[in-house]
Amino acid sequence: MEVVLLIFVVAGALSIFISGIWVAIALIRAISAPRVGSIQKNNV
Amino acid sequence: MDKVLAVVAVVAYTAALAFVAVRARVAREFVDFSLARRSLPLALIFGSIAAAYVGPGFTIGFVGKGFKSGFLFWGIGLAYAVQNILVGLLIAPRLRSLKDCHTLGDAIGQKYDRKCQILAGVISVGLCAGFSAVMANAGGVVLSDIFGFPKWVSVAIVVAITASYTTFGGLRGSVITDAFQFVVFSILIPVLLLSSILFHLDGGAATFTREALAATAAGLRSTPTIEIVGLVAAFLLGETLIPPYVNRALASKTTGVSRNSFILAGIFSAVWFLVMISLGVVARSIIPAGTNEDHVLLNLVDSIMPVEGYAILLVVLMSVIMSSLNSLLNAGAIAFAEDVVKPYAKLTDRTALNVGRCATVAIAAVAAVGATVVPGIISGLLICYTVWAPAILPAAIIGLWAKRPRPLAGILSMCVGTLVAVTFQFILPSAIKVPAIIPALGSAILAYIVGHWLAGENGGASPTIRLNVECEGWK
Repeated sequence: MEVVLLIFVVAGALSIFISGIWVAIALIRAISAPRVGSIQKNNV
Repeated sequence: MDKVLAVVAVVAYTAALAFVAVRARVAREFVDFSLARRSLPLALIFGSIAAAYVGPGFTIGFVGKGFKSGFLFWGIGLAYAVQNILVGLLIAPRLRSLKDCHTLGDAIGQKYDRKCQILAGVISVGLCAGFSAVMANAGGVVLSDIFGFPKWVSVAIVVAITASYTTFGGLRGSVITDAFQFVVFSILIPVLLLSSILFHLDGGAATFTREALAATAAGLRSTPTIEIVGLVAAFLLGETLIPPYVNRALASKTTGVSRNSFILAGIFSAVWFLVMISLGVVARSIIPAGTNEDHVLLNLVDSIMPVEGYAILLVVLMSVIMSSLNSLLNAGAIAFAEDVVKPYAKLTDRTALNVGRCATVAIAAVAAVGATVVPGIISGLLICYTVWAPAILPAAIIGLWAKRPRPLAGILSMCVGTLVAVTFQFILPSAIKVPAIIPALGSAILAYIVGHWLAGENGGASPTIRLNVECEGWK
C-alpha cells in the first residue's frame, strides 16, 4: 500500500515531465516553421 | 550567491521568452489576433489551456493545502478535472462548429441576439480585467521578492512585459508563449518533487503514507461539509468557459482537436494536483509544522535546494503567472473588440485589429491599477469565480444545447446571476452562510426559466439567426 501510493505519485510526476517534452516538440515545430507568405515568395 | 543566481535565471528566462514571442510573429489581421486562423494543433492547445489554468493558486495554493489537509484538496480539485473533461465532451466541439465565431459572446449572440452578445462581452471584459489584476498582483509579489523593487514597480514591469508580446502576437503569440511556459514548469516541477522524495524524505514510502493519512484526516475534521460543497461548486463551475479557454476551443484546427485538448487538460489537472498535494505532504516531514500555507513551497525549496532551488522556483512562478496573465489580456481584448465595439460599428479588419491591440493595453493598465487593491491570490480568484459562473454559464450552456433559446431568458439569467453574486459577495457577505456562488447560480437558473416562460413562443431568436444556427448543426 505504502509503496503503491509513492509509485502513483512518482508516475504522476513523470507523466507531467513527458507532457512537457511533447509540448516542447510541438513548440519547436511551430516556431521553426516558415511563414506562409515567405513560402509563396520563395516559390515565385 | 542565491540572489545572483535568481536574477540570472529570471533574466535568462525573460530573454528566452522574448525569443519565442518574436518567433511567434506579429498578428497582421484580426482573424490572426482573435483565432490564430483556426490552425493550432492539439499539443499547443493542450499546453496553452494547462498553462492558462495553472496559476499561483494551483501551485503555491495547492502545495499549502497538501501540507495542511493532505489529499482532501485533491478530491476537491478533481471537480476541476471533471469540468474540463465535460467541456471537452459536451461544449468545446459545439463551440468550434459555429461559423464566424470569435468569442463566447459571439456564440451567445448567434444563439440569442445582439443584446445578449453585448452583455456577455461586457461581463467577459470585466472578468478578464479582474483575473488579470489577481495575476498582476501575484507577479508583483514574486518580482519584488527577487529584486527588492517597490510592489507597484514590480507589477508595472510584469504587466508591461506580458502586454507587449500579447499586444502584437495576438492569440497565436499568447498560445505559443503559453506553450513555452508550460514546458518550463512541467519539466522543473517534477524535478523538484522527485529530488525531494528521493534525497530528502527520511523514512521513504512509510513516512509519506503516514503524513498523507494524518494530514487528510486533520483536513476532513477541520473543514465543514458546507465549505467542501462550496469549494467543489467553485472548482466545478468557477472557471468553466472563461474567455481564454473559449478562445482556445475556437482556435483549434478541428472539432476533434478542440474536444481532445480539453479532455487531456482535464486529465493533466488531476495529475498536476496530485503532484502539488504530494509536495505539500513531503514538506510536512521537512519544514516546521506551523508554517503559513502560502510559504510552504518556498520554505520547502529553501530547505532542500537553498541556492539552485530558489532560482528554479522563481522561474516556475514567473511562468505560471505570465502564462495566465497573457491569456486573460488577449481574451479580454478580443471580447472587447468583437462583442462590445463591433455590434455598434462596422469595422474594417485593420481597425478591428487596432481596437484589439489598444484594448490589450487598456486592460493591462486596469489590471496594474487593480493589482494594488486585490485582497490575496486565492480570495481574488474566488471572487472572480463567484461572479463568472452565475453570470454566464446557465445562458451559455443552455444556449448551446437548446433548439430555440429565447433572448429574454438569456438577458434575465445574466443580469440576475451577476446582481445576486455581487450582492452576496460584496454588499451583504454575512447575510448567508453558504458561499455566494450557490444562491447566485440558483437565481440565474431560476431567472432563465422565468425569462423563457415570459418570452413565450415569439421570444426566440430571429428566424434568420435560427436558420443559420440550425444549418451549421453538429460537425
